[in-house]
Amino acid sequence: MTDTLLFEHIDEPGLNTIDVYMARGGYTQLPIALKMKREDLITELTGSGLRGRGGAGFPMGRKASFIPKGDMQKYVVCNADESEPGTFKDRELIQKNPHQLIEGLIIAAFAIDATINYIYIRGEYDQQADILDAAIAEARERGMLGENIFGSGFDVQLELARGAGAYICGEETGLLDSLEGKRGNPRLKPPFPANEGLFNGPTLINNVETLSAIPSIIKLGAEGYAAIGVKDSAGTKLVSISGNVQRPGNYEVALGTSSRELIYGLAGGPPDGRKVKCWFPGGSSTVVLTADDLDVGYDYDSLEAAGSALGSGAIIVVDETQSVVELAYKLAKFYSHESCGKCTPCREGTRWTFHMVERIKEGTATPMDLDIMAAVQDQIIGHCLCVLGDAMAMPIGSLIAKFRDEFEAEIETNRNAREAQLAAQFSAAEGITV
Amino acid sequence: MPRPVEKLVSLTINGNEVQAPEGMMLADAALKYGDVEIPVFCYDAKIGPPVGACRMCLVEVEGIPKMQAGCSVAVTDGMVVHTDTPTVKAAQEAVLEFILINHPLDCPVCDKGGECPLQDNAFGWGGGLSRFIEPKRHFEKPLALSPLIAIDRERCILCYRCVRYSQEVAEDDQLVLEERGADTFVTTFDGHPYVAPFSGNIVELCPVGALTSRPYRFRARPWDIEQAGSICTLCPAQCNVSFSVRDERVLRVMARDHEGVDDGWLCDKGRFAYQAIHVDERVTEPMMRDGGELRPVSWEVAIETAAKLLKHAGANTGALVGGETTNEEGFLLTHLMRETLGSNDLDSRPGGALDLDLLRALNAPTLQASVPDLQYAHAVLVLDCEPVDDAPILDLRLRKGVRHHNVKLLIASSRASSLDERAAHSARFAPGCGEAFTAALAAELAGQPSASLAAAAGADADDVVALAAQLRDAGEEVVILWGERLTSGERRNEAARALLNLAGQLSITDQEGAGLLEIPAGTNSRGLREVGVLPNASIGLGDAAQQGRDAEQIAEALAAGELNAVILLHSDPLLDQPSSALWKSALGKASTVIAHAAFLTPAVREYANIIFPAESYAEKEGTIVHPDSRIQRLRRSIARQGETRAEWALLAELAALIGNDPKALTCSMVSARIFDQVPFYAGLSLDLIGGAGIRWSERDAAASFPSAPAAPFQLDAPPAAASPNGLLRLGSFRSIWASPEVEASPALAFLHPRQRVEISPADAERLGIKHGENVTVASNGDSVEGLAQIRANASDGTVFLQTSIPGDSAALLDGPLVEVKRS
Amino acid sequence: MADVKRFTHDSRIPGWDRAADLDKEPAVVPDAATTEVPAELRAAIEDAVRRFPVGDSAFIPVLYAVQEQYGWCSPEGIIQAAAVLGRTPAALTAVATFYDMFEMEPLGRKTVYVCTNISCSLCGADELLEALEGEFGEDPDVNVRGFECLGACDIAPMASVNGAYVGPIALNEVPELARQIREGEDPLPAKQMIRRPCADPKVAEK
Ligand SMILES: Cc1cc2nc3c(=O)[nH]c(=O)nc-3n(C[C@H](O)[C@H](O)[C@H](O)COP(=O)(O)O)c2cc1C
Ligand code: SF4
Ligand code: FES
Repeated sequence: MTDTLLFEHIDEPGLNTIDVYMARGGYTQLPIALKMKREDLITELTGSGLRGRGGAGFPMGRKASFIPKGDMQKYVVCNADESEPGTFKDRELIQKNPHQLIEGLIIAAFAIDATINYIYIRGEYDQQADILDAAIAEARERGMLGENIFGSGFDVQLELARGAGAYICGEETGLLDSLEGKRGNPRLKPPFPANEGLFNGPTLINNVETLSAIPSIIKLGAEGYAAIGVKDSAGTKLVSISGNVQRPGNYEVALGTSSRELIYGLAGGPPDGRKVKCWFPGGSSTVVLTADDLDVGYDYDSLEAAGSALGSGAIIVVDETQSVVELAYKLAKFYSHESCGKCTPCREGTRWTFHMVERIKEGTATPMDLDIMAAVQDQIIGHCLCVLGDAMAMPIGSLIAKFRDEFEAEIETNRNAREAQLAAQFSAAEGITV
Repeated sequence: MPRPVEKLVSLTINGNEVQAPEGMMLADAALKYGDVEIPVFCYDAKIGPPVGACRMCLVEVEGIPKMQAGCSVAVTDGMVVHTDTPTVKAAQEAVLEFILINHPLDCPVCDKGGECPLQDNAFGWGGGLSRFIEPKRHFEKPLALSPLIAIDRERCILCYRCVRYSQEVAEDDQLVLEERGADTFVTTFDGHPYVAPFSGNIVELCPVGALTSRPYRFRARPWDIEQAGSICTLCPAQCNVSFSVRDERVLRVMARDHEGVDDGWLCDKGRFAYQAIHVDERVTEPMMRDGGELRPVSWEVAIETAAKLLKHAGANTGALVGGETTNEEGFLLTHLMRETLGSNDLDSRPGGALDLDLLRALNAPTLQASVPDLQYAHAVLVLDCEPVDDAPILDLRLRKGVRHHNVKLLIASSRASSLDERAAHSARFAPGCGEAFTAALAAELAGQPSASLAAAAGADADDVVALAAQLRDAGEEVVILWGERLTSGERRNEAARALLNLAGQLSITDQEGAGLLEIPAGTNSRGLREVGVLPNASIGLGDAAQQGRDAEQIAEALAAGELNAVILLHSDPLLDQPSSALWKSALGKASTVIAHAAFLTPAVREYANIIFPAESYAEKEGTIVHPDSRIQRLRRSIARQGETRAEWALLAELAALIGNDPKALTCSMVSARIFDQVPFYAGLSLDLIGGAGIRWSERDAAASFPSAPAAPFQLDAPPAAASPNGLLRLGSFRSIWASPEVEASPALAFLHPRQRVEISPADAERLGIKHGENVTVASNGDSVEGLAQIRANASDGTVFLQTSIPGDSAALLDGPLVEVKRS
Repeated sequence: MADVKRFTHDSRIPGWDRAADLDKEPAVVPDAATTEVPAELRAAIEDAVRRFPVGDSAFIPVLYAVQEQYGWCSPEGIIQAAAVLGRTPAALTAVATFYDMFEMEPLGRKTVYVCTNISCSLCGADELLEALEGEFGEDPDVNVRGFECLGACDIAPMASVNGAYVGPIALNEVPELARQIREGEDPLPAKQMIRRPCADPKVAEK
């Protein structure tokens, strides 16, 4: 069975245009789906076992089945915010194969009877947004979008909305607020977007990769798709591999492939024969794993069993030459910069953590600060409005737990360096040698 | 909209079974029904739906793995809640530690100290320990946010109450958050001050000392002050207030949350104009004119002279009674006028006497809507009034209705309304043409032709059709919020008939949740009418033994020498009456002008022979009646300032000196007499009224309200709106800030309005007028100056000017047409 | 007041001394009759509004239009946009300041965002940023800044030059890149993301 679905023809020149896409069999699944009954379509999606590729891994078909029926305006919103550090798979799909996404999105929209739909793309993806915009225009011209498509009686609109630089707008409810023209603050849940989402209407939110997989599901059939991968992790997954590896990039693999195969086999492992110190399996928000975990299967359940998560499917490899303090610093800096500020534990906890790591670097921290830092992570987890706070607390907490010795050693080294420097300054000022 | 019906559910809080209304937020239910306090910061039901931001209120709910925010979880049947487990305790301590890391802990120099939710929560639920040694967030402090409010951003805990209030309650959208994460701060656009009719409420909402009142800052600590509950009488909305009193001075006014009246908010006039109680300009001793100059005199001299002059004028005395007069004062004034001097020439309505029958019909208890009806009705028609100016707090109630209860808001006015944005449909008619417009609407609803009536109103016929359709389809509960302006002037009786016909068409008599709600010209206009301060009615809206002159006729009679004395009881005709020219000549001719006034407003300063100091509302006792028929009590909260005396006693004393002692020994004796004599107040007592007031129209005694003829009335054709022909139609309005109290309050003086000449862009272009330049508005040789204000939503062919401001008031001009040109 | 000595560390945050100027009028919804709006800006705003069922939701594209017009979200531009939208200017700045890509001060119109997040910094992003900052110094036309993960970790260390992703950038390529930016040329064409083939060998096999 093939494990290249999303990336089939990906590097074919012009695949981003509707002609080439159609020449490669594009937009053949849409009319098939439009002929299905909505319930059957949703059953098909559920049966495929496709789980959300944006981070939470929630079964796509089940989410679609939560959308209430009725006359109210419903929406599909595609999450193309892709801002989880280490993740760049949606970018490649949008840039090279935008019509696959559009086709998948229209099928999803039909399944839940959403006539107005949006793709929310991060503002930084400027070129990709232009490509996608052009693709949407083409689709509209060719009657894939608009009124009564394929004579199905289904009217469907799609607009592209650009973000403007805020990680939190990847969180689905922050995204909705942003799409409504507000500050991108996450909303309280419940109500969940499926019931009250965009403009208070029922809204299905899915990641680019999730929606892009839909045409393959229609083509292979639920069972065909479910046969790829392992139990409860069906299908193929794009894995973005970056950091200290020789061949960084996106790889499409069947779920369940061994992580070692991904990191070493595909991405070539760290350069110069260096060892892996730790790796983030699903973007920077996931608990770090160590070299001991390299044989874990790359699928939802196995990674969860290993204490982490598949997240957005982004592996960041950190080799033995890197400092864990520096890693914690980058993490804390990122999350405190990106905290929306709405809820207290995240706003204050991320900033406090950042300041503490900063002090470790400056040489003014003691090992006791490490206890406080660990405690602060515990004070964040489970207390926030959304999970951005947890997304910092989990990896930082795991770094401290797994590399405490290294932290302590670095605290010691930095303190000594600072004391030596102060002593030097003091003697220079006083003209005395200590 | 039908009001939510309360269905009780059972839940368990900390092992105790509790009954609470379904859907109520857990934090409220726990406190109210379970006596368990769940600490909150960001939550306040008044601001709207919870946002769950501060995370102070985390609790455990069995069956849900993650801790839940008690402020935003609705109670359900069988819910089992724990607020006292180690997990909850740890979460509370964690959140408080986080909140306090950036707080400056400057309680010793903080105005909020002693009445601070942050102090209370830190004491009640905090761990009492901080491990934070990093630098705190720093802001310069305190800074001005507006002339009225100071902001200390270091103390801010980012609960967003204030910005949510600005966006979702006041809807002025001026106060916002900028930046993100821990850099977030509360601010306005580009250093502009936060100035809006309701800005002061954020001071009360802020749970820490980040937003403080500049007039109150450092005037007192909570333990120095006493709270005294009373009513604000600065406008007909009659909000319930609590005065913070120290050493017989009012230092602050806070809301005394009353769902039936104010919903817990105050406008900035109500919140800050208390300053006018304690300014030097206030009249606090009797004065007499002596050789053209006003000079202080002793009470004895003033009273005796006044009694002598009145006795001398006898039945040739007229009286104008202002809206801030209490029922008791009004009652004693009628005694003085009718029974002592033998004059029926007294009036409390500026727009002319309305036929008693019509007055009764409009005020019939079965037709009275309540303030909460505005929030729950299917539709509200705002007719010929501007709530934010005329009864400000109702503006917030209407916005709440639209925002939270999908009330269909409809507007018919001659000046663009600040509520237009929120309205399902807005219509304009020519100034003074409310009658024709109302008649058009009633005709359209009755299926009769309305186009010619619309044309007479200077309105768009389509607007009438659209409004009628909206009203017809809205549902049974329709409230008409109308301004006394509608039933003023020459065609007042016809206008009243048109309004009653409209109400008839909508079948809102006896309909729960529907009805008429008048915004009268004065605070206690309703009460004054009910105690008989009208030329054509006796107490209890009974038939008058003899018809007297109304306000305009009093002026004419004074000018003609038919009357020679006039009492101005809390009334300045140059501010309150439609024609200044008429009143100037009237007062100029009058030999005796006795004024009860707190300030030397134009007529008082120019014409009064004797001035009695008026009590401020914080000094007064008595009763007043809210426009929705709620009788409320004023309670004396501070000692009378200076030489000021109780005015009810003064009125009684004057009558006694003239020879007809009303035998009123205390104010409450007078109240009792009123309850006795007004048939539909029967059985009332001050105790019954209590702190919350009581709507007489809801009591059994309301059945004794005098009967009145019922709609439909035959209407004659209204006169057509004047055609501008190159000139402009003159319209006028009274701004919320046009009041002597605002002018006298140092903190508010900056808001006291200057004359602005509002015209449409098309008219401005035609007349060659630029925004902001000086223009002159003239008619019949009189003219008024002002700054041109070009507004996109002003109607072509119309100019709007303000009344009730000293100097260049619109009342100096005679309409209907005026000429506008560059000065 | 800007340099109060008491706080020598960097704990002062943006807007830390923002007081209201009591001589200003409150910033209510600007009246359309008295607010002039450049035609291009008005057209861009109206186009943005058309794409959403609710006009207010066009705030982000509207802010982009203001930034395009003035080079930054200038108060003047914000007021004009507010007049067209019928909202207060504060409602717009609240949104603008939330997002990293809106500039609230006049800065260079050419943008160079250098990703300094984990993957890039593991590959030398901090040095790259330093080098680029060194190249442009105080150049008023170029806005060089460190940025959070730009979603291009496969070409780490990288930069986004006016929206075009370029990487991996070796330190010795920086002078050439800087010259291209200054002169408005296509930045390091061979290293642009847009031309990069997929890493997956199975794709290449086909
Ligand atoms: C802080 C945060 C950031 C997120 N960022 C993204 C993102 O950039 N892209 C994405 O697809 N999902 C992101 N998510 C997950 C979304 O909330 C949501 O679960 C997802 O869009 C649902 O789509 P899916 O079911 O197809 O995965 C993020 C979640 C959180 C809490
Ligand atoms: S100023 Fe007060 S009310 Fe406003 S966010 Fe800060 S703490 Fe809350
Ligand atoms: S009170 Fe519940 S989160 Fe603030």
